[in-house]
Amino acid sequence: MKLPVAVDAMGGDNAPQDVVLGARQAASELGVAVTLVGQPEAIEAADPGDLEVFAATEIIGMHDEPGAAVRNKKDSSLVRAAELVRDGRASAMVSAGNTGAGMAAALLRMGRIKGVSRPGIATPIPVPGASPTILLDSGANADCQPAWLVQFAQMGSAYCTARFGVAEPKVALLSIGEEDSKGSTLVKETRELLRDAPGVNFVGNVEGRDLMSDAADVVVTDGFTGNVTLKTMEGLFRWLYGALFGVMTNTPERQAAFDVLWPGLEPLIAELDPDSYGGAVLLGVDGICIISHGSSSPFALRNAIKLADDMAAADLVGALAAAVASR
Amino acid sequence: MPAETHETRSPMDRTEVVELIRDRLADILEIDATSISEGQSFVEDLQADSLALIELVEAIEEEVGERTVGFRIDDDDLEDLKTVRDAVDYVCAKLG
Repeated sequence: MKLPVAVDAMGGDNAPQDVVLGARQAASELGVAVTLVGQPEAIEAADPGDLEVFAATEIIGMHDEPGAAVRNKKDSSLVRAAELVRDGRASAMVSAGNTGAGMAAALLRMGRIKGVSRPGIATPIPVPGASPTILLDSGANADCQPAWLVQFAQMGSAYCTARFGVAEPKVALLSIGEEDSKGSTLVKETRELLRDAPGVNFVGNVEGRDLMSDAADVVVTDGFTGNVTLKTMEGLFRWLYGALFGVMTNTPERQAAFDVLWPGLEPLIAELDPDSYGGAVLLGVDGICIISHGSSSPFALRNAIKLADDMAAADLVGALAAAVASR
Repeated sequence: MPAETHETRSPMDRTEVVELIRDRLADILEIDATSISEGQSFVEDLQADSLALIELVEAIEEEVGERTVGFRIDDDDLEDLKTVRDAVDYVCAKLG
């Protein structure tokens, strides 16, 4: 029997309502088996339909300190979801709650894949007309060592193949120029290691502007830089959308022109919408863990649950273990 | 202050505690256990981040707890454990 995806029903800005709705969509529209984990009364009030509910009495909040929360809230929805995966009762977990706690719960309950120094968060960056660029680490490890980035390259390549079917993903290192002489000490030392890293098709350095191009399929960096990059892009897009829509609709004439343009714009905007990709994957833990944005819509959660189910079916963990073992 | 515990097997001596902490730390940080010395600090010398330290604490609690029921490292005490020696001394003191 196919295992369900364990979904942290209490995690997220609009939990449990949006989480339950997304889970119902994943089940009814995509055929994914789901177990909602959380407080039964709250879940019931959000109308879970016939989805299975696994009771957990506590909630880890967005501002709880991750490590302490996982240690002290042992009956929280997040911890219980990770335990369902550890115990073989769920194929994967999804949470839109506290990102750090999600990482901690996955790491402490599932453990790491043998040989992995540090798990990293892999986030897809949309590329119009092509498969997304996978950016990692996008926030798990603020300070990194060169050998960790090599593992991110190996795991990112395996993930890119499993998720997007790219046979030999192009791997690049995020820097401030293509030349060997440019970049931080971490970048220069990592570059030397990546040249000879097994299982990595290293194509050299790329700059931030290359993320939304087909220059690379996987871009590795430390978690601090990755997170700043990601949040900068999010902020820029949010501002750009707002400004453009404002200017294009603020008079009747412009609104009429906009209405003509809209059928052409809509697919592009859908392609750039992070909700289409559901969430980021924590690579390196011994189980599938999808971390979604706190403000995820039901549509985003639906897609995150589908992603979790797909990655479990593709044996992503096995692929990552093999990739890291090839060092 | 000794933990409110009772022992289920022979108590651990200091050498065993050092070995336990060194081995678990080596597993967590993917480094050679023989390269770890008591005088090293977790953060500066071993580059252990907060999650790695929580992993270590949970591993110690699990293993020591198999011998001494109820053994737990208090969260409030964690920030005082800066070096491997601090952790060894703390566990030994808890075991009384």
